[in-house]
Amino acid sequence: MEESPLHPFELHNYIPINLFGLDISINKAVIMMWVVVGLVTFLLIRAATSRRMVPTKLQSLAELFVGFIRDMILDTMGKDGMKFFPFVATLFIFILFCNLLGLIPGTYTVTSQIVVTAAFSIFVYTMSIVVGFVLHGVKFLGILVPPGTPGWLLPLMMPIELVSQLARPLSLAVRLFANMTAGHTILGVLFGLTITGGLLIGWLPFVFTIAMNGLEVGIAFIQAYIFTILTCVYLGDAFHLHGAEGHAH
Amino acid sequence: MPPPNDPFYAGLGQAVRIGTELLAALIVGGGLGWAADTYLLKSGTWGLVIGLVIGAAAGIRNAMRLAQRWDKSG
Repeated sequence: MEESPLHPFELHNYIPINLFGLDISINKAVIMMWVVVGLVTFLLIRAATSRRMVPTKLQSLAELFVGFIRDMILDTMGKDGMKFFPFVATLFIFILFCNLLGLIPGTYTVTSQIVVTAAFSIFVYTMSIVVGFVLHGVKFLGILVPPGTPGWLLPLMMPIELVSQLARPLSLAVRLFANMTAGHTILGVLFGLTITGGLLIGWLPFVFTIAMNGLEVGIAFIQAYIFTILTCVYLGDAFHLHGAEGHAH
Repeated sequence: MPPPNDPFYAGLGQAVRIGTELLAALIVGGGLGWAADTYLLKSGTWGLVIGLVIGAAAGIRNAMRLAQRWDKSG
């Protein structure tokens, strides 16, 4: 019964649906996403309806989230960025819950599918480009020219900047996907060792499984945080052309 | 939100970010060079070589940009 540690990531269609040649079958990942959306909606509505002066536990947790995301936006985008608050907050909470719920044995980590993370990152990146062109027009192409570049370096700097821009959506998608997949593969391998090890030595990998699970909870937070803060940074770059870099120099 | 404020997790997050940044730029640079070789120029492997060099430079530039951001936030 040798089983690949990557086996849990395979998806099997429960209800195959084909719409005009488009595969929109219902599988475990789709169901997990519905569960996440349902749970988040339920919890946040419960948290928001009480509105007491002395908050309930759930309400203070929700307030903590809102304050955290607001600080993140204010830090990276400034006041203008608050227009994106609903989008950024939705993204953060959705990714966070996908990561966290995936740690419960038997469930599925949606963010370990690169299709999901790539869809997010391409959407975010396209949005930052559109925002940039709407706000700055053709001048937004100036993002390819770092401020203070001497003229003779331009033919070298433009391709480098172009590649570094195009690498953004890729690194965003791969980072979340790779961290989630790697973490769960390690957990799978360690737990497999526990079972094959038996009582004599099996307790050792089991202890490590528990420790890794604790680390994975941290990773779930960090990866959701990194994804959202980079979303803010990219949108911020589109807002203030070279503004942030001007300060850094 | 304890973890991102915890210095251990914050450091871990930053380290993980830089690694992917370097890799992604290299892949994009190499990929563009390879595509130019294969579909546009039929130029042997020069596109791939130049693409990889540009990708490496872009990756370091991205990592540098990230590092500059930490200085500001402390």
